[in-house]
Amino acid sequence: MEDETKSRVVGVDISKELTTYAIVDIRGNIIAENRFVTTDYPDINDFVTKLSESIVMLVEENGGLFSIRSIGVSSPSGNFLTGSVVNSPNLPWKGDIPLAAMLRDRMGLAVGVANDAHVAALGEHTYGSAHGMKDFIVVTLGSGLGSCFFSNGSEHRGFSGFAGEVGHTCVIDHGRRCGCGKEGCLEAYAAAQGIVKTAEELMAESDKPSLMRQVEHLTPRAIAELCQQGDEMAIEVYRRTGYILGIGLANYASIVNPQAIILAGGISHAGHWLTDPVRESFETHVFQNLRGKVKLLVSKLNDRERDVLGASALAWEIPEYSLFK
Amino acid sequence: MDSSQTKKRVVGVDVGMEITTYAVVDARGNILAQESFSTDAYPNVESYIAVLSDRIVTLVEANGGYESVRSVGVCCPSSNFLTGCIENSPNMPWKGVIPMAAMMRDRIGLAVALANNSQCIALGEQAFGVAHGMKDFVVITLGHGLGSCIFSNGKMHLGSKGFAGEIGHTCVVPGGRECSCGRQGCLEAYCSERGILRTARELMEERTEHSMMRQIEQLTPKIIFELCEMGDALAIETYRRTGEMLGRGLANYASILNPEAIVLTGGIPHAGHWLLDPVDKAFETHVFRNIKGQTKLLVSMLRDGERDVLGASVMAWMVKEYSLFL
Repeated sequence: MEDETKSRVVGVDISKELTTYAIVDIRGNIIAENRFVTTDYPDINDFVTKLSESIVMLVEENGGLFSIRSIGVSSPSGNFLTGSVVNSPNLPWKGDIPLAAMLRDRMGLAVGVANDAHVAALGEHTYGSAHGMKDFIVVTLGSGLGSCFFSNGSEHRGFSGFAGEVGHTCVIDHGRRCGCGKEGCLEAYAAAQGIVKTAEELMAESDKPSLMRQVEHLTPRAIAELCQQGDEMAIEVYRRTGYILGIGLANYASIVNPQAIILAGGISHAGHWLTDPVRESFETHVFQNLRGKVKLLVSKLNDRERDVLGASALAWEIPEYSLFK
Repeated sequence: MDSSQTKKRVVGVDVGMEITTYAVVDARGNILAQESFSTDAYPNVESYIAVLSDRIVTLVEANGGYESVRSVGVCCPSSNFLTGCIENSPNMPWKGVIPMAAMMRDRIGLAVALANNSQCIALGEQAFGVAHGMKDFVVITLGHGLGSCIFSNGKMHLGSKGFAGEIGHTCVVPGGRECSCGRQGCLEAYCSERGILRTARELMEERTEHSMMRQIEQLTPKIIFELCEMGDALAIETYRRTGEMLGRGLANYASILNPEAIVLTGGIPHAGHWLLDPVDKAFETHVFRNIKGQTKLLVSMLRDGERDVLGASVMAWMVKEYSLFL
C-alpha cells in the first residue's frame, strides 16, 4: 500500500476577466485561493506560464506539490474530450488551444479541462443542489447561456464533446441575431446582452415612464434592482425573458426528462422576477407527462466558489499522471 | 456449468395500432418465425394479452420449443421501460396505466421487457442497423407521431421517469398550430403525417396555382410524395416546408446532444430527397457552429416490416432471465 494517497487537487476557473485558482480537499473545503487578471496575458503561452507559476507558489505554501493529485480547469469553450479550448468567442486566445497538454507539461500533473457549464454541473452534483441526482440539467445564465445534463449519473458529453449548447437552439425563427452568427438563439434573449436588448426594445415600444430610462449603462442586475422598486417596465423585461427561457427549458426537459433543472450564474440572482415567469411558461410548454414533475431550482452555491469547486471535482475525474513514476 | 442450457433465442413483439406482429429471433437478428394478428379485434386488454401470450407459446412450441427462448421484448406506443407499463396512450384502445410486462410474464413464465417504439427501434439500429458501433446518436421515428430515443455514451438515455426523447412535443412555433397533446406549436403538429397533410391544405388555400393535390380526396404523405415525383410544385413545397421545420427541430436537438448521427426511421422518410434536402439545409443553418457539418443525417436501412420486431428482440436481451421453474 502507498502511504502517499493524495487528498488534494487544484481547481482553476478561467473567466473573461479573472482567473481564480484554489487548492481544494476531498470534501470541497477550499484550503487556499488566489487570482489574477486574465486579460493581462493576451498571449496564451504567457498565460500558461503565469498560471503554472502561480499554482506552484500557492501549492508550495500550502502542503507542497506532492500533496496534489491533479488539476481541473474550467474555461469557456473548453472541451473535456480533447482537453482544448476551442474557438472561444469570449477569451483573448483564438483557434484551438491544447490547454490541458500545455499545463500538464509545465506542472507534471494530470490536467482536465472542461467548459464552465460542465464544470458547474459537476460542482452541483458533487457539492450542491444536484447531490444524489442521476438525471438533471444545469443551466448557466450569464454573459452566455450554457448547459450540461447528466444521464444516469454521468455527464452527457456528446460525440465530440460539445453537448449542451441550449443557448444556441433556435427559439424564434428569424429572430434576433446572436453572437454566434445565427438568428433567434435562446442566448440572444435570455443571457445578459439579450435581457438588456429586451429592455431597450420595451423602452422604444412605448413612452411609458420607467426608471430604466434614467440608467446610463443598463445591466441585468440594475434591471432586477428596479424590479424590487416596483418599476413595471423592468418587471416586464424579466417577464418576457422568463417566458422565452421557459420555452427553451421546456423543450430541453421534454427531450431529456430530468429530475431537476438548476439555474446558476449571475442572471439567476434576479430571483422570483425571473423564476416565476420561467416556471409558468415551462409548465405551459413542457410535455404533458412531465408537467409538475420537474423541479426548477436556483443554485445555492456561491457564484465565486461554484466554478472552482466544480473544477476541483473535475480534477478527480481524470487518471493521475506523474513525470516521476 | 451447464452450457447446453444457454438460451439463444428471444421473442420480439411489435404492438401496432392495427396489427400486432411477433417473431422468434436469434442473437444475430435472424427472424426464424413470424406471425401477426389484428390488434383492434381486442378492445379489452386482458383478452388481448391472453391471446397474445397463447399465440407466442404456440409459435415458440412449433419453432424450437419453449425451452429455447430466453425472454420476450415488447415494443408498444406510450410504454415506459422503467415501469413496464403502457401509460395513458392516446392512440391505443386501452386506457390508463397497464402493467403489460407483468401481465405477460405471469402468463408466459418468461421475463418480459417493454419499451416504446423509438427506444426499441434505436436498440435495433444499434444492434443491426446504421447506428452499429455508435455511442452517441439519436433515432427519430416519423409516422403518426414523432418520437425519438437518445443514446448517451453507449447507453439508452431514459430520463428520470423514462419519458426522455419527446422531441415531437418540443415547441418550434410559439403560439403555433394546436397539437393533439393539447399544446401549441409542437414539432409533431408540423412534421407527422397529420402535420404534413395540414401543411398541404394550408398551401392549397394560400395559393391559387394549379396542383394535382386539389383533385385527390384522401391525401396521404405517400400520395404527396408521388406527386413530387411527377413535378407538382405545391406538393414539392409541402415537403419543403415540412423539411425546413424538421431541420430546425433536429438542429436544436443536435446542439443540445452533439450526436454522431441522427437516424430517421418510419414512413415519412420514404419521401427521400424531397424531404431530406430541405431538412439538411435547415439543419446546417440552425445547428451550433462547432458541430456544423459533423452530424450525419442517416435514413434507416432496416425494412419497415421487421424494424420494430428486431428492436423488440434486442430489448428482450436487456432484461434478466426469469423462470417459474428455477
